[in-house]
Amino acid sequence: MAGTVIGAGITIEGDVTADEDIVVAGTVRGKLSTKESVTIEHGATVEADVVGGSFAIAGALTGNVNATERVDLQSGARVIGNVKAARVTIADGAQFKGNVDMDV
Amino acid sequence: MPAKVSVIGRATRVHGRVTGGGDLEVDGFVDGEVAVEGDVTVDAHGMVGAGVRGRRVVVRGAVKGDLVGEEAVLLEEGARVVGDVRAPRVAIASGALVRGFVETGDSNGVPAKVARPQVAARVAPPVASAPKPAAAAAPVATVASKPSSAPSGVNNSSANAGPRRPPPPVVPALKKVKGQVAKRKER
Repeated sequence: MAGTVIGAGITIEGDVTADEDIVVAGTVRGKLSTKESVTIEHGATVEADVVGGSFAIAGALTGNVNATERVDLQSGARVIGNVKAARVTIADGAQFKGNVDMDV
Repeated sequence: MPAKVSVIGRATRVHGRVTGGGDLEVDGFVDGEVAVEGDVTVDAHGMVGAGVRGRRVVVRGAVKGDLVGEEAVLLEEGARVVGDVRAPRVAIASGALVRGFVETGDSNGVPAKVARPQVAARVAPPVASAPKPAAAAAPVATVASKPSSAPSGVNNSSANAGPRRPPPPVVPALKKVKGQVAKRKER
């Protein structure tokens, strides 16, 4: 159960800072950061640098991703930006343009 | 999966605007304008540092800004609001704290606009008649004689009040009555 849900019709213009899970089904422009997991659902639009524990991305993300644990780009995801995380997976069908940094 | 309801969780802070459709629940902190087409609920732990607009706005937490409800604004126990409140229906429950201007009625403001001139009219006559008491006893006598045609209750009370020299507040109160009676006669 997510602490914060940004619904499909909602737009946030600004910074979102949390210590709990975030689910984005709407639009976020600005910054988004949490220590916990971030889910960007299919149909969501995020134009922001995002920082979090782990990411599951199925929507559109423009911005850099910085995760302490993992980033999973799911089928249908569309990501433009650099991804930095200990583990990164990109599913078949995900669109991605950017650098991947897995701390090798 | 989760569709229409949006939640700003208790451990979440938003610096910026939150807009759009659907319902919104704020249990965290929003330092920025909230404008939603659906219902907005600011829960007990929720805080909003700017204006809130929604169809129905329910507040149990803190808001520092204007509240505008398309249908209603409901301030429940625990609500702390510093700002103006405007909606067709406004409810302030016991235990809710508000500092600001409250206006019920839609944008036409029919009830509010009717109410204000009435208040003004009531306040105005005493101000106009205030100089008269200083004009000494002569006017009092003439006024006392005039209402003799008026209902006896009014007449008696004015007659009793005249000779007693009661504290000032009583005289203006009677003047008010006389002034209204006189106006009615004129009409």
